[in-house]
Amino acid sequence: MKRAIRIASILTTAALMTASLAACGGSGDGGGSGSGEGKLAKISLFQSKVEIAGPLEALAKKYTEETGNEVDVWGSAGDNYISQLQAKLNAGEGPTIFSVQPGAEAQKYASYYVDLSNEDYVKNIAPGLSTEIDGKTVGVPIGVEGFGLVYNKDLVRPDEVTDLESFTSVLQKFKGEGKNGISLSQEAYFLIGHIINTPFSVQDDPKGFVEKVNSGEVKMADTPAFQEFARFMETIRENSVNPLEVTYDSQMGDLAAGKSAMVHQGNWSYGMLSEFGDLNVSMMPLPLGGNDKLAVDLPAMWVINNKATEAQIEAAHAFIDWVFNSETGKNAIVNEFKFIPSMTNIEAPNLDPLSQAVFEATQSGKTIPWALNYFPQGIIINDLAPITQEFFLDGSITGEQYLQKLDEAWAKAPK
Amino acid sequence: MNKWKNKAWFVLFTVPLLLVFTTVVIIPFIIGIVYSFIKWDGIAANAKQFVGFSNYVQVFQDDRFMHSAWITIQFTLMALVLVNVAGLGLSLLVTSKLKSSNLARTLFFMPNLIGGLILGYIWKFIFTDAFKYIGENVGAENIFFNWLLNPQYALYAIVVVFAWQMAGYTMIIYIAGLQGIPDDLMEAAQVDGAGPWHRLTKIVFPLLMPSFTICLFLTLSGAFKIFDVNLSLTGGGPVNSTEMFAMNIFNEIFGYSRYGIGQAKAIIFFVVVAAITLVQVYITKKREVQM
Repeated sequence: MKRAIRIASILTTAALMTASLAACGGSGDGGGSGSGEGKLAKISLFQSKVEIAGPLEALAKKYTEETGNEVDVWGSAGDNYISQLQAKLNAGEGPTIFSVQPGAEAQKYASYYVDLSNEDYVKNIAPGLSTEIDGKTVGVPIGVEGFGLVYNKDLVRPDEVTDLESFTSVLQKFKGEGKNGISLSQEAYFLIGHIINTPFSVQDDPKGFVEKVNSGEVKMADTPAFQEFARFMETIRENSVNPLEVTYDSQMGDLAAGKSAMVHQGNWSYGMLSEFGDLNVSMMPLPLGGNDKLAVDLPAMWVINNKATEAQIEAAHAFIDWVFNSETGKNAIVNEFKFIPSMTNIEAPNLDPLSQAVFEATQSGKTIPWALNYFPQGIIINDLAPITQEFFLDGSITGEQYLQKLDEAWAKAPK
Repeated sequence: MNKWKNKAWFVLFTVPLLLVFTTVVIIPFIIGIVYSFIKWDGIAANAKQFVGFSNYVQVFQDDRFMHSAWITIQFTLMALVLVNVAGLGLSLLVTSKLKSSNLARTLFFMPNLIGGLILGYIWKFIFTDAFKYIGENVGAENIFFNWLLNPQYALYAIVVVFAWQMAGYTMIIYIAGLQGIPDDLMEAAQVDGAGPWHRLTKIVFPLLMPSFTICLFLTLSGAFKIFDVNLSLTGGGPVNSTEMFAMNIFNEIFGYSRYGIGQAKAIIFFVVVAAITLVQVYITKKREVQM
């Protein structure tokens, strides 16, 4: 009898444990479906821009305060963003809203998007900035961004840097003074991704040119703009610190401290620069072949995951609408994220110096697009960065060989 | 009656475990094998295409994978030696009549409590900033430079960090083995005139064989599967020169979105690790002696 009781008690314990485990699973699933009272379902947001991670979380909190609806902002992962996004989507645990880069990346994930064509908020997207796939508007651009040479106004003037020759002599002058003329940094996009955009974008038809390189019809090594680009890279290697020893943080710190005169960066970097106090900085074009235009385009757009539940999709529409139409949301975009608005209903009265430079370039038409958006997906991190590391580590690689290696990698990359 | 009851107990305790093991290990493993025969880019809406053994063929034509395999073997051999020599050395040190041996044990084990990712970031700072600083200020610049920028030294750097992490762990296993050796045996040998070296090689090492089996197994499989330290310390760079097996598979799948090929690599990886560790356990087991 006693034994029977003991066995029974063991079995009940086991049963209870199973039940509680099951309960855990249940509550996990239930979390997504909202809790009545007219409140919208809880949604999640995953996006690639590390710089706005903090302000975005604060914005989500304000959203909850104002409307009572919840948005869970997942931590950003920088260079790892796409792998994490892919893993989450595959596991069926994808975010409700996520960001993709217009172009090749947007095309790749096209099967996940909700059609936004009929939503009110897409009507405010500035002309030419909406992304359509199969005739449907699928994403909301979060802002316009531009990059070029961010420079310290006290150290260098734009009219000193107008072509390869003057660029080189400026670098040599700073090297002689024990300063650093230009600084790239070790992160894949800051090392090569952005700077290699210029030779593509100065072509007559950048997108078509990328496609020709993709198909092997054109070799970079045979194209004049790239040959000059390689000379730019050579002179950077010769006359400035090794970018592989520089991180984004130290790059910004050195520019702010006056140890570097120029960095190849975008207007997003002002957020970090401003932490070092008020700075006398501005942005000028990378003078490749006398180029006088900044690279300005859409870095990312927000899309809604069509694998989310109906209730979540509805809540996602509401959230995006709030971000781009409420005063709080508009204010955060301009003043917290420091974005140059891509919406006609958002005004940007006091832009920071870098965004101002980008904005002025947009106004005067002195812009080139981001051809890098059409690169084979993932090629910057997977292939271009390692080759560029090799180029900076091994001084015996000539610019010509460097271009050949880039061509080889391009031929092998999955398209 | 009794027999039936024994069986019932057996079933009660093994079936839940078997169920868990089947669902989280066996079934995913079989699915994994299936995936290695298909071509897929990871987008749920795109079709998975059955391609037979072509993924495996491609893996063996992949120079980067072969290079990665060679680096992993180099790394494993270096790590195996360094971890076990250091672990054994430390264990002999802290079991000798040292005053602070308890404190030393704790300190030597400490790195193992820190996760590989964090350890990697800490050492990244040491190799890049601290080493450079020492080199510039003290001299010896052929040792103290930024190790992570030199393809060969970056690999050594991972060996050092891995050894730093694992040596304390193997030390604990060796300590347990050393304490299992009866004192009277050692005393008898001492009385018979065996010196410290002879006692170590003729008595301690043979009796420590079971510990060797475990430690070699742990370091061998651990070194082959290393990912976290690899990711945080070098990220596979510079120039993919420290991209180990696991990271190569990760990049194939998530970097290039070739799920089938990545999965084929993973299966090959599994077979290699299983074969090597089984051979190692077989060899060292044979050399274990009974008292």
